[in-house]
Amino acid sequence: MTDRRRSPDFWRFDAHLHAGAPRKASRALALLLAVLLVGVGRASAKWVTDQTGRRVNVPEHPQRLVSLAPSITETLYALGLGDRLVGDTDYCDYPPEAKRKPRVGNLLNPSLERIVVLKPDLVLGSPEANRREIIGQLEKLRIPIYGVTAQSVEGTLRSLEDLGRVLGCEREAQALRERLRGRIEAVERRVNPYPRSRVLFVVWYRPLTTTGPRTSITDVIRRAGGDSVTKDLDGEWPRLSLEEALRRDPDVILYPQAESFFPGLDEFARLPGWRDLRAVKNRHMYCVSETITFTSPRLIDALEQVADILHPRAGRGTEGRR
Amino acid sequence: MTVAATRRNVLLIILVLSVGLVLTGLAALAFGGVHLPLREVWAGLCGAPGNPEATVIVREIRLPRILLAVLVGAALAVSGTALQALLRNPLADPYVLGISSGAALGAIVALWIGGRIATASPAVAFVGALVTMLWVYLLGRRRGRLASYTLVLAGVVTASFLSAVILFVLTLLSSRDVRGIAFWLMGDLSLVTGSQLRILLPVVILAIAGLYLVSKDLNVMLLGEEEAAHLGVNIKHVETAVYLMASLLTGLAVSVSGAIGYLGLLVPHLGRMIVGNDHRALLPTAALGGAIVLVLSDLVARTVVAPAELPVGAVTAVAGAPVFIYLLRRAAG
Repeated sequence: MTDRRRSPDFWRFDAHLHAGAPRKASRALALLLAVLLVGVGRASAKWVTDQTGRRVNVPEHPQRLVSLAPSITETLYALGLGDRLVGDTDYCDYPPEAKRKPRVGNLLNPSLERIVVLKPDLVLGSPEANRREIIGQLEKLRIPIYGVTAQSVEGTLRSLEDLGRVLGCEREAQALRERLRGRIEAVERRVNPYPRSRVLFVVWYRPLTTTGPRTSITDVIRRAGGDSVTKDLDGEWPRLSLEEALRRDPDVILYPQAESFFPGLDEFARLPGWRDLRAVKNRHMYCVSETITFTSPRLIDALEQVADILHPRAGRGTEGRR
Repeated sequence: MTVAATRRNVLLIILVLSVGLVLTGLAALAFGGVHLPLREVWAGLCGAPGNPEATVIVREIRLPRILLAVLVGAALAVSGTALQALLRNPLADPYVLGISSGAALGAIVALWIGGRIATASPAVAFVGALVTMLWVYLLGRRRGRLASYTLVLAGVVTASFLSAVILFVLTLLSSRDVRGIAFWLMGDLSLVTGSQLRILLPVVILAIAGLYLVSKDLNVMLLGEEEAAHLGVNIKHVETAVYLMASLLTGLAVSVSGAIGYLGLLVPHLGRMIVGNDHRALLPTAALGGAIVLVLSDLVARTVVAPAELPVGAVTAVAGAPVFIYLLRRAAG
């Protein structure tokens, strides 16, 4: 049913723990204490407030994590916690190792039974991915669930730091956050001198579904030197009439690279309504990595890609635009 | 069409169905998203120490859900039976007449205003069910008499209107709420809590008992309203009892499990094929039959795409539509 954790991985995890042990005596002592407590099977717990505002009783050093969202799984691996992950969802496919973890089902309706047999000491979920009813179900089974939420670049960094704190790897989280922040600032410096292009992000084209103000997508577009033409709409995934899209007249259209069918530029140039959009006529329509919707470290990959699209250094993209 | 069963036969049938329900329940305990050997299922059910995971899975995940399926299945089947008799219409059921949609709209509005599904909503769902039922009933009357076709059409149109209103309300909610509601709307027994069961159990039993008290009158009502009145049936009392009890059962069922179709429509017909038209026998038969059918449907919903789950309403619809067509052809032929 599940892939067994191979022993080399296990020892590597152990080595990692010791290599990362803090130099300060007090922290070493705390770690020793924690290890001892875990050793006698009475892990201590602490009350913390998660990112959704709930009070959660989490173990001092959670060792058996179940992730209910791909972005959380990715973040755990990025923090070097892949070995502590004992279960994830059917959609967790990055990094590739995540695909070999025992699966607890899909995001909306994960199997409680599978979660129980994995004996997690902490489940990590997200209101963006899971339905909120899962919280009550896990609480009933006395399994702590910690909620992580992020709808922006800054929020993604905050989640990263937060997870590091809860899972006891602040230093790794801090280091990763600084690296990502450096990349974000480099992008912003690079695009700053150029005028902002007006961007329509097409989540789905039939019906035209786009993105509202409080999503990672809108934030990425803004930081990449663009301006979402739908940032005034309500909700996360508002629908837009084609007429309104024509009126808003975007310079550039972006759409996510998705496995599901998305017609190419040539087909769009023939679709009624769409072919009248200036961005389609000028062939300013670009596919961006689907990680633009993931609030994980790969969101920054998407940020760099969008910046390259909106502001290629040669200035090719900015000529002839407002 | 069917021969009325003798009293002894009826008792035997009810006994057989009860045993069937227990066996179905045990089968549902044995299977789920995780494979457990039968020995562990039994140990988990008894709460034997040594395997806490099995105990949690069997006693805290599977058992409450099966109990919920029993109560909801019985509630929907009994309210369908009573409505079919009162309205003298073989198509009457909470789903077709839009009563489930009314209850669902009530529950969603409760959620919209504040609170969550299954805590604040049962009362509002009941009100939604009752209002919809009275509305459809008024539309279905012509010159003081119930018109069969008009009633069903009024119900179908009301159901589609209410579905549209539900869609509209959903656009006003945040996508976080909508995700859960969309699943719940298709019928979902996974969100059961102990407090729900504690409310549901006595109310469902009392409402079914209340309908049982008018079961003799329902038999007479089948002859027609005027005839029943001539035979001394207080039609207003019977109508009030059925409308209240059926709304109560539907509202409660929908508030905890969403709109589950076909159960209230088909189980009464299957029950009639077994025990005939005497509602003193038919109501308990429908209650047990509805419970068995929903426990089985939920077992299928939990296991066919494990570890994912289907909405149980999808299972009852996929299974129910062919059965309905079969019954239709049988009746026509």
